[in-house]
Amino acid sequence: MATLARSEVLAPDRAARARPRIPPGVGVLPGTLLIVLALLGPLALMLRYSFNRFVPGELMVEGLTLANYAKFLHDSFYRDVLLTTLWVAALSTLICLVLGFPVAYALVRQVGPRWKSKLLILIILPLLMGNAVRTAAWMVILGDKGLLAALLSGVGLTPPRLMYTPTAVVIGLVSVTLPFMIVTLQSVLERIDPVLEEAAESLGAGHLTILRRVVLPLALPGLLAGTMLCFILSMNAYATPVLIGGPQFHMMAPEVYQQVAKAMNWPFGAALAFVLMSVTLVLTTTANVLVQRRYRRWSE
Amino acid sequence: MSTTVALRSLIKRYGSFTAVDDIFLDVPEGQLVALLGPSGCGKTTTLRMIGGFVEADAGSILIGGRDVTRLPPAKRNIGFGFQSYALFPHMSIAQNVAFGLEMRRLPRAEIASRVARALDRVRLSAMADRLPKQLSGGQQQRVSLARALVIEPSVLLLDEPLSNLDAQLRGEMKLEIRQIQKAMGITTIFVTHDQDEALSIADRIVVMRAGRIEQDGSPEAVFGAPRSRFVAEFMGVTNLLPGTVEGPGTFRLADGNAIRVPVAGAGRGAMVLAIRPERVRITPSGADTAPDTLDAEIEAATYRGLSVEYRLRTPSGLCLTARRATPATGGPAMLEPGARVHVAVPPDACHFVPVEF
Amino acid sequence: MSRAGIRWTYGTILGAVLAFIVLPLVVIVWVSFFANRILAFPASGYTLDWYARALDTDAFRDGFVTSVETALFATAASLALGVPASLGLVRGRFPGRDAVQALLLAPMVVPGIVGGAALFIAFIEVEALLDIQVAGTLGGLLVAHTLIALPWTVRLVSASLASADRAIEEAAASLGAAPLTVLRRVTLPAIRPAIVAAALFSFVISFIDLEKSIFLVGPGRTTLQIALVNYLEWNLDGTVAAVAAVQILIVGTALLVSDRYARLVQAF
Repeated sequence: MATLARSEVLAPDRAARARPRIPPGVGVLPGTLLIVLALLGPLALMLRYSFNRFVPGELMVEGLTLANYAKFLHDSFYRDVLLTTLWVAALSTLICLVLGFPVAYALVRQVGPRWKSKLLILIILPLLMGNAVRTAAWMVILGDKGLLAALLSGVGLTPPRLMYTPTAVVIGLVSVTLPFMIVTLQSVLERIDPVLEEAAESLGAGHLTILRRVVLPLALPGLLAGTMLCFILSMNAYATPVLIGGPQFHMMAPEVYQQVAKAMNWPFGAALAFVLMSVTLVLTTTANVLVQRRYRRWSE
Repeated sequence: MSTTVALRSLIKRYGSFTAVDDIFLDVPEGQLVALLGPSGCGKTTTLRMIGGFVEADAGSILIGGRDVTRLPPAKRNIGFGFQSYALFPHMSIAQNVAFGLEMRRLPRAEIASRVARALDRVRLSAMADRLPKQLSGGQQQRVSLARALVIEPSVLLLDEPLSNLDAQLRGEMKLEIRQIQKAMGITTIFVTHDQDEALSIADRIVVMRAGRIEQDGSPEAVFGAPRSRFVAEFMGVTNLLPGTVEGPGTFRLADGNAIRVPVAGAGRGAMVLAIRPERVRITPSGADTAPDTLDAEIEAATYRGLSVEYRLRTPSGLCLTARRATPATGGPAMLEPGARVHVAVPPDACHFVPVEF
Repeated sequence: MSRAGIRWTYGTILGAVLAFIVLPLVVIVWVSFFANRILAFPASGYTLDWYARALDTDAFRDGFVTSVETALFATAASLALGVPASLGLVRGRFPGRDAVQALLLAPMVVPGIVGGAALFIAFIEVEALLDIQVAGTLGGLLVAHTLIALPWTVRLVSASLASADRAIEEAAASLGAAPLTVLRRVTLPAIRPAIVAAALFSFVISFIDLEKSIFLVGPGRTTLQIALVNYLEWNLDGTVAAVAAVQILIVGTALLVSDRYARLVQAF
C-alpha cells in the first residue's frame, strides 16, 4: 500500500479552511432590512409624531405632549369608536369560533382527505377576492334591493334594513375572517389522534362529551391562535366598516385614515394608530399567557 | 357480569374488497380468545366491529345474548385496549382511569376507590398523578388495561396489546394479562399477528385468513394439528410434502419414496404431509441406515443461537428444513453444507393437510 | 344522537357555512350579467354590456394596468427577499432567530391602514430631508407592496423548507458539492413548487391590496381596488360587478394553478 505524502493528507483541510462558510442565516438580512426601514422605522416615526402638537393650518408642530392621547381619552366620540371596534371585533371573532369549529371538525373527521383539500381551497379562494370586491358583493346581497331583500319579500316577509348597520359590518367581517379560523383549526385538529376519541367513546362518552373533555382541551393552542388571528384582523379592518358601515359607523382603522389623510392631523392620527395597536397587543398577549399557562403543563 | 360474545354471519366490505367474510363465532363466558393471522386477514376489523368502531355491512353481534350490532361503542359496555394505548395526554393517570367511571355517573367517592384499586392491581398506584408521557411503554400499557377494566365491562377487547413493547416487556405483560384475565374472569378477545403471543396467553386460538376463519381450537390443537396448509405454515410447520396416501400407514411422496405414517386421521388420496423442522431427525450418512429414511444433502446451515436450521435437498429434488439444538461446546460440531445425511420423518410427528389449488 | 345523526348535523353546518363563504363570489359574478340600471333583484334581463362599459372606463383600465405592474414587481421583489430569508430562518442558527421570524411576519399583524399611514408619513419626511419626491411615486407604492407580499412568501417557502428532506442535501455534500452548489442544484429545485406558489400568491396579495395603496398612490395614479372603491361610493351598477368578475377570474385561476404547486393552506 502506498503511503500518502504529507501534503496530500493536509491538502483537503487546507482547501476547506480556505473557503469561508457563509452561514445560511445571512439570508434574512435583506428582508429584515426592508422591514426595519419600511415598517419599523416609519412606525417609530409615527410614534414620535403622536407626541407632537397639531395646529390647524400648520399640519404639525414639534413638541412633546400627551395632548393627543388625552384627547382620545377625554373625547367620548373616540372612546366610543374604540368600544365599537372592540365589540364588533369580539362578536365577529366569537361567531367565527362557533361556526369555524364544527366546520374544521367536519373537514378533519367526517370528510375524506381528498374532499378536504378541495373544500379548503374553496374556503380560501373567496378570501383573495380583495376587500373591495367582497364588500361590493355584500352590498348587493344586503342592500335594500339586494338578494336577501328579494328573497325575504318573495316569501312574504318584510326585509330588515341591513345595509349601513353594525350587523352588516359583523357579517362582512365574519365573511373575511372565518376562513382564517377554519384553516387554523383544521390544522390543529388534524394532529389530534382520532384513536383518543375512539377511546373516550369506548368508555361511554357521547359526542359532545368527547368534544368537551378530549378534543377541545387538546385543540386549545389552535383555538387560541385562530381566535387571536380573527380578532386582530377584525380590529384592524378598514374596507368593510367603511363601505358597509356607512358614514355613521366608526371604527378605529377608518378613523386613522380620516385623521392622517383627510384632516391632516398627523399627531392625533398617529395616537389613534398606537392606541389601536396597543389595545390589540395587550388583549392578545393576555389571552396568550392565560392559555399557555393551562396548556403548558402537559404539552412539553 | 361477564358474558358471552356471539358473531353471526358478520360481513364487512370496503368497495370490492371483503375484509370480513361471513364470520361465525361463539365465545363462552370467561374465555380468553386470540384472533390470530397475518396483516389484512380481517382480525382487527372484526375486533373493531365487536367494539362498535366499524359498522357491519351484514350479520349481527351479540354480547350477552343482546344484539348490539346497531349500538354505538359507548352503549356496548366494552373495555377496549388500543394498540397505541390511547391514553389522554392532558389527563393524569388517575384521571384517565376515572374517565369511564365518570361517564357512568358514579359518585365521586366510589370513583376514587375503584381507581385506587385498579391502579393497585396493575401496580401503578405511585403514578396516579403523573401524566402519560412520563410513563414508559409498559406502564402505559398497564394503565390502558386498568382504564378498560375498572368499568367492569362485559367484554375486554385488546388490539395487538403487546406489539409496541420490546421483547422483555412483552414476556412480562403476557403473564400479567393472563393473570388479570383469569382473576377477573372477564371474557376477552385479543388480536395478534404473533403466534407465540397467542400460544402463551390464549385459551383458544382462532386463525384467520382473508376475512375467514381457517381454524378454531385450543393452542395445542392449532399448533400440533393444523388443518390447512395456511395454518400449518403460519404456525411454523414449514415442511409441506405433497403425495398420496396408499393404503393404511403408507404415504408415497411425489418422488416415489414411501413413508410410514400413522393410520388414523390420514384420509385417502392426494394429501400434503406436514412436519415441523424441529421434529425432522437427521443423522450423518454412514451410520446404520434406518428404514423409512431419505437420503439428503445439506444445502445451507443457519445458526440461530439456540438452534441450527438446516436446509436439506434429496437427490430427487425434495426440499426440507430441519432444526436441531445447537451442539453443546465440546460436543459434536455443527453439520456443514455439502454433508450427506439420513433424514427420518417420525410417524407420530406427521400431520396431513388437504391439497389446495 | 346516533352516528348518522351526528354526521348529518356536521354536514348541514358545513354546507351552510360553505354557502355563506362562497356566496359573495357567486353573487357578484351573477349580477355582472344583470341588465338592471342599478343593481337590484330580481334581474330585469341579462346582458354583457357592463363588461364593455368596464373596458371603456379609464379609471378601471388604468387602475388595472397599474395594479398588474405593481403586482409583478412586488412578486419579483418578494421572492428576491423572501426566499433567502426563508433559507436563513429555517436553515440558519443565530441568536434572536425567533425575533427575526416575528419581524418578517410583522407586516401581517400591523393594521394595513397604520402601516400605510406610517410609510406615507415617513416618505414625506424623507422628501423634506433629501428634497426628492418619494410619497406618491410609483417607487413608494412598489416598496409598500413588496412589504405586503414578503410575509406570505416567507410563510410558504419556510413551510416547504421545514418539511424538506435534508438527507438529499447531506447526500449531495457527501458527494463533494460545495454549499452554494447544494443550494443551487438540490435545495432550490426541491422547494421550487413552494416558490412558484409564493410567486402567484404574492401577485394576488399585491393585486388585491387596498389599505396601503390609498395612502401611496399619487395624483393621476390609481390601482384597480381604489378605482372600485371610488366607483362604489357613487353608484352600484353592473360595471363594478363586471370588473369584480374579471378580477375573480384572474385571481381564481392564479390560485388554483398555485395550489397545484404547493398547498396554499400552509400559508395561513
